[in-house]
Amino acid sequence: MKKKPSIFTYLFLICGALLIIFPMYLTIITAFKSTEELTKSIFAFPSSFYLGNFQEVIEKSGFLHSVVNTVFVTIAACLGVVLVVPLVSYAIARNMDNKRYYKYLYYFLLIGIFVPFQVKMMPLVQVMSKFNMLNVPGITVVYVASAVCEGVFLYVAFIQGVPGELEESAYMDGASTIYTYWRIIFPLLKPMTATVLIMDGLWYWNDFFLPLIALNKTPDNYTLTLFVYNFKSQTTVNYSLIFAGLLLAMLPIMVSYVFLQKQIMGGLVNGAVKG
Amino acid sequence: MKNVKTQEGKKKKVTERSLSMFLFTIPATVLYCVFFIYPIIIGVLYSFTDWNGLSKDYKFIGLSNYITAFTNSRFQNAVKFNIRFTLMAVILVVGLSLILALIFNNSKLKCMSLFRGIFFFPAVLGMLVVGLIFNEIFYRVVPVIGKAMEIPILSSNILASKSTAIYGILIVHVWLAVAMATVMLLAGLQSTPEELYEAAVLDGANRWQKFKYITMPFLLPVLSVVLILQVKSGLTVYDIIVALTNGGPGGATESMAVLIYNHGFKEVKLSYAIAEAMILTIVICAISFIQTSISNKKKVY
Repeated sequence: MKKKPSIFTYLFLICGALLIIFPMYLTIITAFKSTEELTKSIFAFPSSFYLGNFQEVIEKSGFLHSVVNTVFVTIAACLGVVLVVPLVSYAIARNMDNKRYYKYLYYFLLIGIFVPFQVKMMPLVQVMSKFNMLNVPGITVVYVASAVCEGVFLYVAFIQGVPGELEESAYMDGASTIYTYWRIIFPLLKPMTATVLIMDGLWYWNDFFLPLIALNKTPDNYTLTLFVYNFKSQTTVNYSLIFAGLLLAMLPIMVSYVFLQKQIMGGLVNGAVKG
Repeated sequence: MKNVKTQEGKKKKVTERSLSMFLFTIPATVLYCVFFIYPIIIGVLYSFTDWNGLSKDYKFIGLSNYITAFTNSRFQNAVKFNIRFTLMAVILVVGLSLILALIFNNSKLKCMSLFRGIFFFPAVLGMLVVGLIFNEIFYRVVPVIGKAMEIPILSSNILASKSTAIYGILIVHVWLAVAMATVMLLAGLQSTPEELYEAAVLDGANRWQKFKYITMPFLLPVLSVVLILQVKSGLTVYDIIVALTNGGPGGATESMAVLIYNHGFKEVKLSYAIAEAMILTIVICAISFIQTSISNKKKVY
């Protein structure tokens, strides 16, 4: 039924693709250049892959620490979300039709969806410092709390589409509620769990605002984004170092994108269109 | 989801079940209340006081912070910046992503997966990191190209000039945002049943009619989501500005989010900053509300 795309379509696509590739190309080639090679040409491919920049960034105090912090925050917060959010969503989805508490709770949990972070950030920092939470585990907890809103919205809609017969027969056999949830419901939620994990995982890995307001005072608590941000402002002359640092910060995401592109994009679109 | 079969022995099970269900809601609700709702509530309360964030005591001053915000030229400039920026960003992002989604929806495209792989890539990148990369590019690379091609505007760092800095930020914002918008619109297009097009062709519909009467109604819900998200991200743009200009030069790119951050954390004007953030929230909610009600009315099916 459809027409073949014209030559202009391809020209448009190729121009766009070049615009997207160019900054990435530049980042990669510059990161592999030694100081002498930097002065020759900005665009040329490096004559040899010089690894000194990476070595210098990695040996920089705080880099490895920030990697550990970011990995910890991302994994722990994702685990927290998966533990907490489907649980409350299951209770809401199965009870909101006949119990007022769950119906109101559902709307209450959705209030936050349009509130921008700026409104709560200053009081939030106060609350965190009151609980002695201006550290890596502290922001992990806040990340879980911040994911409740959207997570509940997505999970409740999904669970309402899961037929109740399976769990009813488990209840008939005398299984406890938590057992039924964990062994029967939770496995059925896998597609939505993947969506939420991809969305939130990328958010936690890339986030800059919350680490900036909560962790910027103590270098031990830096996440990767904070590290590269501070590293960039300290490094002015040797910019191949900056690109090496930025490349290292993006590397895990680039690699996972190459191998899991379909799953990642599927998860993102699933979360965004429904949200 | 009520099941008739569970009638027998219901009494005993209902208590265990309803108790468990109630307990299921506790962890998320507590987290949400302590780290989401409570900060918002005390924030709103602070916005009616003169507390600067450090002083021991403070007093209630009503709407003064809000009135000051509206009459303050710095806030007005930030609002103007955000409106200009958001308008341009929404037009560019929605336009480009709509074109791309329509192109990608054609299965006869060659090298489809390669193009998709490239175009969708920015969606997974962090705004700060990309912003820092472009910062270096605008500073070191673009002037070299500009000089070689003898384009005067590009011969110096566009971020360093008051009049062009906003376009530097806009380029990076669009570079990042088009990917996600395209993916969403493409998903919307692919939900349109193919049979409708075939029927339309039989009825002699032309391309524009097909687009208007079949594609658009199916695309509209997704399009309105994309619009809301774009407006919201345009009004709260922060990471990219911090990475590129940090509000400069001379405050020319100080967006509302940057201003709120500066007032709240750097200039010790906490209650005033929250009042500004409240204004931002109200604007966002109003726009989302208007947008949803308009697109709900337009829905044909």
